[in-house]
Amino acid sequence: MKTGGAGVRRRISPQQKRQNLYGYLFMTPWLLGFFGLFVGPGLYSLYLSFTKYDVLSTPEFIGLKNYVEMFTNDDLFWPSLGRTAYYAILSVPLSVIGSMFLAIFLNNKLRGITIYRTLFFMPSLVPLVASVILFKWLLNTDFGIVNQGLRSIGMQNPPGWFGDSDWAIPTLVLLRLWGALGGTQMIIFLAGLQGIPTELYDAAKVDGANSWQTTRHVTIPLLTPTIFFNTVLGIIGAMQTFAAAFIATEGGPGFATWFFALHIWKQAFDYFNMGYASALAWFFAILIVVLTLIQMRLSRRMVFYYGE
Amino acid sequence: MATTVSTPSLSRDAAPSKRRSGVGRAIVLYVILTLAGIFFAFPLFWTISSSLQTWQELRSYEPHLLPSVPQWQNYAQVFNSVPFARWLVNSFTIVLITIPGTILTATMTAYAFARFNFFGKNVWFVLMLSTMMIPAIVTFIPQYLLFFNLKLVDTYVPLTVGAWLGGSAFMIFLLRQFIMSIPRDLDEAATIDGAGPMRILWQVLVPLMKPALVTVAILQFLADWNDFFGPFIYINTMLKYTAAVGLRTFQFMGLESADPRDHLLMAGAAIMTIPVLALFAVAQRYFVSGVVLSGLKL
Repeated sequence: MKTGGAGVRRRISPQQKRQNLYGYLFMTPWLLGFFGLFVGPGLYSLYLSFTKYDVLSTPEFIGLKNYVEMFTNDDLFWPSLGRTAYYAILSVPLSVIGSMFLAIFLNNKLRGITIYRTLFFMPSLVPLVASVILFKWLLNTDFGIVNQGLRSIGMQNPPGWFGDSDWAIPTLVLLRLWGALGGTQMIIFLAGLQGIPTELYDAAKVDGANSWQTTRHVTIPLLTPTIFFNTVLGIIGAMQTFAAAFIATEGGPGFATWFFALHIWKQAFDYFNMGYASALAWFFAILIVVLTLIQMRLSRRMVFYYGE
Repeated sequence: MATTVSTPSLSRDAAPSKRRSGVGRAIVLYVILTLAGIFFAFPLFWTISSSLQTWQELRSYEPHLLPSVPQWQNYAQVFNSVPFARWLVNSFTIVLITIPGTILTATMTAYAFARFNFFGKNVWFVLMLSTMMIPAIVTFIPQYLLFFNLKLVDTYVPLTVGAWLGGSAFMIFLLRQFIMSIPRDLDEAATIDGAGPMRILWQVLVPLMKPALVTVAILQFLADWNDFFGPFIYINTMLKYTAAVGLRTFQFMGLESADPRDHLLMAGAAIMTIPVLALFAVAQRYFVSGVVLSGLKL
């Protein structure tokens, strides 16, 4: 809480000097990292985005050519952006809504609830490489136990999962849901739920609200800040996703999981088009920042803060 | 949309029959939770089960939910066919370097933001949070070029230096929230006793921050243990691989026998997952309260 102190700014008091000294002293490691690993490299990549650079020779300045190239002459640019959007639109709402309801269910005082909580959380701890290998095997078209099960209940042609270009992205979403629904996102929802004052539930009970009505009119409105937080982080994360796609299918089959971030990666580290990859990366960063700012704008109308 | 909390006032006659619905509700909840539990647990169960089967069992057309005879030697075979032990040691080495780094430097940064009113603080804070928005790939390319020119490729420096320079914005934010929830009276009392900022941080605040610090340590462990692209791009020598990169490579490596290796891959996946689950089992209580107590509300 800030109490006054606004007018005393004129001359720097010894106290203020002390605050400055210690503030910056304790921040020094982070400041070094911020400039050395973030701002510096970021500016360097901005410079590279106006060059042609293959690591071996020196960067050659070519103006806006990379940016023109990506919009007009890159066959994978728009499709990979589209696939990224498709993945985000499919995965973010499912994972945010899903983990919210899981958290609401887990917030009940039932016997053995902590066992469920641990069980739901465990998949989020499995290293991505391990879970991709596991899912590839689980969903193997011929010998995977899922398809064997589906066949045994009479499904003639079970999905091809990672091997089928129509199924590949939904399969990645499934993998993501398995790993994320019960994870940190759900814990954050649980934290949000525990911040809801109990008197509101008591009031709802006095009014004779059933549990769905209470959830709908008390819990969810009061969770909107948490929903917002998880959605924003979820979209930022989903847009950048490509590790699972890279490990599972390397962008295939037939470019079906060639996400935008993977496109940048391939340009940089497979084809060594560092200049072009930097231009793509900068476009991507701006896109994500703009999307995030739009969400923050929208949130003013959608998010409800209790007691403010 | 929901700018007001409207508690619906229902007609009075909806009030009775509450007892019965209590039991019914519990049953419905258990059913939902159990179904969700199967969805989460089955893949884990299947990792273990298939890691103990023979490949002939796995590659038969009728599913074997359990191995007919548990093949424990599958695990030994993983260690014999690839340097998995070495990869695990490498992953542990990295984690042992990064955790103290984040604990030290992220705590210091969080302390600065939570307790000092220095010039430009709000600007730095917004800048720090906005680093979370920038896709990692943007800085990844120039960072790679930087470490390449510094001849630090194929060392663990690129993988560990960030942790000693503040760690991640999310961790700093978490720790800052936590420090802000500790009453300032404690700092002031210590100041009166003659303690400087350093001593206040390490002797007053840090002992109270245990849940948050354990949370940060776990998050750092997970981040490095699970990281794929960092070691994938920076490490070239096979014996320096981490477990994550090693496990992926294992899929494609030429082995003495040309048999399918699904069972071995499952064993590898299980070996890689066990340390994480064990760590979490030990630190679970702190982790949950670390997130909850930090009052993660934005």
